Amino acid sequence: MSWNFEKPLVTLCDAATNEEDKKLWEKEDLGGITEDNNRMPMPVVLLVVLTVLTAFAVTFPLWGQRPTAELYAGFVKAMDTPEVKAIQNDDEAMKKIVQMNKGGGIMGGRSADDMIDRHPLSMNDLRIIKPQIETLMSSGVDLGEYTVVGDRVVLANFEGNLKADGTHERKQPWWDKGYTIDIFYLSYFFIMVILLIKRLPPSTWQPRHNNH
Amino acid sequence: MFKYLLAKNEDIPEGSAAVFFGFSSIIWFVIGTGLGSFNAAKLAFPDFVTGDMYFAFGHMRQVHVMAVIFGWISMAFAMAMMYITPILGNNKLWSEKLGLWNCLLWNAGLLLALTLLWAGVSSGREYSDFPWPIDLYLATCVFIPLAVNVWMTILNRKTQGIYTTNWFFAAATFMVIIVFLVGNSPEFFHLTGLTEAYLTWWFAHNVLGLWITPVAAAIAYYTIPKITGNPLYSHRIGHLHFWSVVVFYSTPAAHHLMSAPLPEWLKSFASVEGVLILVPAIAFVSNIMLTMKGKWYMFVENVEVRFTITGCLMAIPLNMQGGFQQTRAINWYIHGTGWIVAHAHLALLGFSTFLEAAAVYLGLQTLLKRKLYSLTLANMHFWLLLIGFTTYWVSMTIAGLIQGAGKIYEVPYIDVVIAEHPYMIARWLGGTLVFFGNTLWLYNMWMTARKGSVVPQGRMPHELQYER
Repeated sequence: MSWNFEKPLVTLCDAATNEEDKKLWEKEDLGGITEDNNRMPMPVVLLVVLTVLTAFAVTFPLWGQRPTAELYAGFVKAMDTPEVKAIQNDDEAMKKIVQMNKGGGIMGGRSADDMIDRHPLSMNDLRIIKPQIETLMSSGVDLGEYTVVGDRVVLANFEGNLKADGTHERKQPWWDKGYTIDIFYLSYFFIMVILLIKRLPPSTWQPRHNNH
Repeated sequence: MFKYLLAKNEDIPEGSAAVFFGFSSIIWFVIGTGLGSFNAAKLAFPDFVTGDMYFAFGHMRQVHVMAVIFGWISMAFAMAMMYITPILGNNKLWSEKLGLWNCLLWNAGLLLALTLLWAGVSSGREYSDFPWPIDLYLATCVFIPLAVNVWMTILNRKTQGIYTTNWFFAAATFMVIIVFLVGNSPEFFHLTGLTEAYLTWWFAHNVLGLWITPVAAAIAYYTIPKITGNPLYSHRIGHLHFWSVVVFYSTPAAHHLMSAPLPEWLKSFASVEGVLILVPAIAFVSNIMLTMKGKWYMFVENVEVRFTITGCLMAIPLNMQGGFQQTRAINWYIHGTGWIVAHAHLALLGFSTFLEAAAVYLGLQTLLKRKLYSLTLANMHFWLLLIGFTTYWVSMTIAGLIQGAGKIYEVPYIDVVIAEHPYMIARWLGGTLVFFGNTLWLYNMWMTARKGSVVPQGRMPHELQYER
């Protein structure tokens, strides 16, 4: 297999190999089927590039995440304030708690207000998770590492980088090693496919099928 | 068929195996969609056939799914492979006898497997429901003989090159064996927990991604250039399509388990790969559509082209759904709802069925050397399939969105059931139209074999469709 790197974007084969390939391409009858040597149209190339970019952008874990104990820590504290205790109706009390906890803060790299809107809960839910969150608060752990799953507050199942104390980071970053692997995987794929396609005769040449 | 099983290979008429596979596939399609219609009736009308456990939805659902995948779709693939592979290599099928035994063992094994499933003998894992002895039987008596026949035919070809369709056939027959043996390993080795879940969905994903999707596409790479007489638009795009199927479809199993406690990095990796299934889809659809240049009138006039192009067009919504519904942002809403059922039917009853139906129409007419008995029945079949499928898909997609909203906003379950009821009736109506269309198809092809006018030497059956 001979390689020619003079015009790598045109062909990677030497002239003799290209000539042999062209002859075979025109001569061979594959059950009455023929193939052309057209390049991929530019809109299709752009669509593939757009797909690759979108694949990363749309899968970053910025949406659809479980709420953390940190999100509801303020709720738990607010439950014991005189203003909330004075409200008899649960729905009204929850409205008040939400109002007290909104303020444009940032939590885990995202808008805390958006997270509150995305993960509403009832006073009954809050009563169930309150003692669990209080226990965590008193033990001094990072509440951002605990997620609320139904009626339980549990250590997040995400296992990230090792921390100095030998435990794993339990907060999900917007980028993880899955994306790094994807970058390498995709790069190998596109390099191999480009090499494969550039071994064909240049796309400026079209076969003449059945002499026309 | 039986008289040829013990005959010498050279005494068996060319195309026999393909013809038996073709008719088997149509019969399984009628059975499979009949079961689907029955099951849908049970969801639309809860009092329909009650009191007998064998007719309970839980017993019959998987019988419908497996009859369609391993009866209709896979046998139509076998038919296409046994018919198209030798043509593209300018030779004969390596062994008609092996093909006939393959067909017999396939039908007998599937009948046994579905009877066991119906009786409740199931592995309990979706898409890999068969118990492990059946899995081993299907690997050794169904997929390995098929692969041997396809590979040996390609290795003994009389051409130097291999056409795109045969790349897919060769690769898919190899990959489906690996998928079957590795994907069912939780049952062979009693693996449990996340390993079981991951491998179950690796199997389910790759039966679609490495078997059904590539073979269906391979059929279109044959039917469109063959019938239109146009060269395939681009050999280069064919390379991109083939390798992107192998690379991007084989990896995203974890995207079926976005809410499971799998490592998050694995989900991120799989989710990106999941969106990238759009790359082979873009390559496939663009290559086929550009091959149609100057021959679009055949989309109206020719039954096989109409089926194929409709199937290709369905690849667009199929892959848009498939690519994006698995992302974290969307999956939390539609996971576990009828949306997924609609998507699965878009893949199997939409995209792939339309492509396979074209192959079976074309293959049976060509091999039997008979003109289609009734073009009117074929047109009715197309429209019943298209209207029935579309009714099913749209109604189930809407039902899925209702279920998703009910799930997220904690609407009482019974209220969701009531809200879905009209869509369940539409689902049943759509499925029943498909079943009815398929009975017409079986009749039409049977009559084609019995009474279709003979196609003169050197002509293709589709050329005679409008000639009386």
